[in-house]
Amino acid sequence: MKRARIAHDGAVVWAEAVENETALRLPNGQRIAATDALFLPPVTPGAAIFALGLNYADHRAELGFKAKEPPLVFLKGQNTLVGHRGATPRPADGNQMHPECELVAIIGTPARHVAVESALSHVAGYTIACDYAIREYLENYYRPNLRVKNRDATTPLGPFVVDAADIGDPQNLKIVTRVNGDVVQQGTTADMVQGVAELIAYLSGFMTLMPGDMILTGTPEGVHFCAAGDRVECEIESIGVLENRLVAAS
Amino acid sequence: MIAGTVYGVVLNDRTERETLAGTFGAPPYKAPPKAPVLYIKSRNTFNVSGAPVALPSGLREVEAAATLGLLFGRDAAKCDAASALGYVAAACLALDVCEPQENYYRPAVRQRCRDGFLPLGEFAPFDPALLNGEIVTAVDGKEAHRWNLSRLARDAATLIADITDFMTLSAGDLLLIGLPHDAPRVKAGQRVTVTSAELPALETVFVREDAI
Repeated sequence: MKRARIAHDGAVVWAEAVENETALRLPNGQRIAATDALFLPPVTPGAAIFALGLNYADHRAELGFKAKEPPLVFLKGQNTLVGHRGATPRPADGNQMHPECELVAIIGTPARHVAVESALSHVAGYTIACDYAIREYLENYYRPNLRVKNRDATTPLGPFVVDAADIGDPQNLKIVTRVNGDVVQQGTTADMVQGVAELIAYLSGFMTLMPGDMILTGTPEGVHFCAAGDRVECEIESIGVLENRLVAAS
Repeated sequence: MIAGTVYGVVLNDRTERETLAGTFGAPPYKAPPKAPVLYIKSRNTFNVSGAPVALPSGLREVEAAATLGLLFGRDAAKCDAASALGYVAAACLALDVCEPQENYYRPAVRQRCRDGFLPLGEFAPFDPALLNGEIVTAVDGKEAHRWNLSRLARDAATLIADITDFMTLSAGDLLLIGLPHDAPRVKAGQRVTVTSAELPALETVFVREDAI
């Protein structure tokens, strides 16, 4: 099942994708065209949002990092999220702003001291994030610092949450990012340094993961700087295509 | 208890900045910090005054840094220092617990975000006079630390202005306005009390995880 979180008739509802994702079925049974839906980030309010840096072998090499170290984990606030077909501000001085397409694992059951072997049983579903970075704002304190990674609406999320059972192996999914139709990132989740199961085992080793918590699992190589007006699509096999556009900001 | 996100800031203690000034130019930092250096306390850390803080096995002692939390009543975006405090609706004492850190290069999620590592006192209506106060930490009934918020490198209003220059502090978010670099270290079995003149006191006891 694929589910979207949308605004409809003044309320926030979860709707099920039907008719080959061209329509959404609302909780009251009503159907609306997917093109008419106002997509919100498919997130549980209050959920913790974890993100990974340098979690693809090729992207690490691209950025000049070598040895395998503990996962580079950081947290994000919900102010960063924006829904499918939403707008992301592109600051006038953010000339090194680039999209990062990422597989997102959503926790389904509490996880504490979970072994790698059983970790995937704690995943409810998967979605897609585009975790934009703006390299001009990087500083070497708690890097990647919040001025880079916690800006409003710079993490498009969605369009759907796909049930984990429908995905099977999360480490064998193709990832593509297109800007104005041109491919700028191409990879596979097979190249993650730490896979979804390892990340859940690592995090649950020192904290309790709760239903709704999300793990943005990092991005493959391909650093492409974007301009205001660009149309960005992040696609992950079996999950969908997350669309976003960049708008000029001060 | 907290509907939004809890943000904290390190390197906002003027005395710590003076101590570390000579290291900021060297690797891995290579330059002094410009923007406020923020972190997030994830929801699993939220804890209430009166409840214990569990120390995992292998963690012999932790830093217990008492600070002031400001709860936002309205979304604050790109506000200036003169208007910043108008977005704050309530305040509480907070005890930010952290595994002692070697440096500030990488986000300290494992060190800062253990379950229960953020005991919070009861909220009171925000009064700007709170920002001129002293926060006292007692360990096992004996004063162990005292700091005046005049030590902050960025005072609360400037901090809010500089943060909201690049992100919104939303209604329901809590901002911890800074940590004293000389916070006491505590072990399992010790009781910590945080007090200030105007806010409800905060109390917790540190226990071994397997004791709960």
